[in-house]
Amino acid sequence: MIKDIPIIAEQAQQPRRTNPLAHVFDELMNFARSRSLFMLHYCTGCGAIELPPAMTSRFDMERLGIQPMVTPRQADILLVTGYVSIKTLKRIILTYEQMGSPKHVIGICSCTVNGGMYWQSYATAKKLDEYLPVDLYIAGCMPRPEAVISGLQKLIDNIKHGKSDNWKDYYQRYDHYLGNQQHLFGNNWQTPTDVIGEAREYGLFGPQTLGQHTELLESVQKPLQPLEMKL
Amino acid sequence: MSQELTRMLDTLTKDIAGAKVTLKRARRMRIDVDADALPALLELLQGRGSYVHLSAISCVDWIDDNQFELVYHVWSYESNSLVSAHTRIPRDPGVYLSIYDLYKPAAFFERDIHEMFGLYFEGSPSMEKFILTEWEGPPPMRKDFDAEAWVRDTFTERDYNPEWLKELTDAGGGIAIRPQDIRK
Repeated sequence: MIKDIPIIAEQAQQPRRTNPLAHVFDELMNFARSRSLFMLHYCTGCGAIELPPAMTSRFDMERLGIQPMVTPRQADILLVTGYVSIKTLKRIILTYEQMGSPKHVIGICSCTVNGGMYWQSYATAKKLDEYLPVDLYIAGCMPRPEAVISGLQKLIDNIKHGKSDNWKDYYQRYDHYLGNQQHLFGNNWQTPTDVIGEAREYGLFGPQTLGQHTELLESVQKPLQPLEMKL
Repeated sequence: MSQELTRMLDTLTKDIAGAKVTLKRARRMRIDVDADALPALLELLQGRGSYVHLSAISCVDWIDDNQFELVYHVWSYESNSLVSAHTRIPRDPGVYLSIYDLYKPAAFFERDIHEMFGLYFEGSPSMEKFILTEWEGPPPMRKDFDAEAWVRDTFTERDYNPEWLKELTDAGGGIAIRPQDIRK
């Protein structure tokens, strides 16, 4: 007997706004967002090999409104397609923090779920959602393009129904994510993005945004210097 | 052809004490040599035997013998054959001579071996960090570095006990051998 195995965790739904006009506006915004997603062209590991068929004519991601995009600042989706080495994870976090909100992270392949076949490797990070808020995982080693497409469809559904708000979690519980990052990268870890300032700006400052890990960050943080221009 | 090659190598290595040539397959030779004689052997192979291409240097950690084995793979474009020169050096202190003056690509391989095994090559142009620029632990390819224990200390495992699996495990199925039992 084939059981229905849930592979995609449901996320808590935001309470809808009481003003009916505001609600209609929100619905419209979510619909528009869900139908025009730019996927960052950033690939780690081996799962990226399934993306060319998923993107091009055979499975055609673009009929869902998903296009590859070359810069993180214009992208909506960050696909992490395979094992994440600790060095790569730093770059992923830098990339993720530069993306404009709302942003969604998808972990493809079993390596992003629990380390996969690299579970005893000294060089790879095991659980991606400890370091970044992951919206959904597509398990498999590697998932076929059909699975990738169905995962993306699920993401579109989630966005349409306002259930894909994990990017807010990064601001609201920044201390938790930063703590995990510091545990792996050492206490001198810092990124050029001012996440706490952004949390205040977006109105997403929560009780867990600041904590002992952000205190540690502030004590070691070096202010960014503009790059010297030379001819 | 292979017979000729072996004969040629035998003549070439006649003066090198302790060098032993064995034919592994057609056009694939192995030479075992003492650690002091290896640079001389490589110089002969390069200068007289036309083995001008250093394909790779590999390293094996024989922890039970307390030795590192270094294997120098050199290729000849004239006889289209590969010679692997095997040598063993003591694990402690793990210092050996660089062959950078013979083969320039050796700098790359020696730096890699230094990073992965902690072996130091005297005379190599750079022994800086190479790929593991952000790794501060012991050299990870040494046999005495327990990667799995390091992973257990650093990361947590994901719990996954869904309902549908519970039925299977109750019926005697599920994961047959758990990772912690493999080690025993």
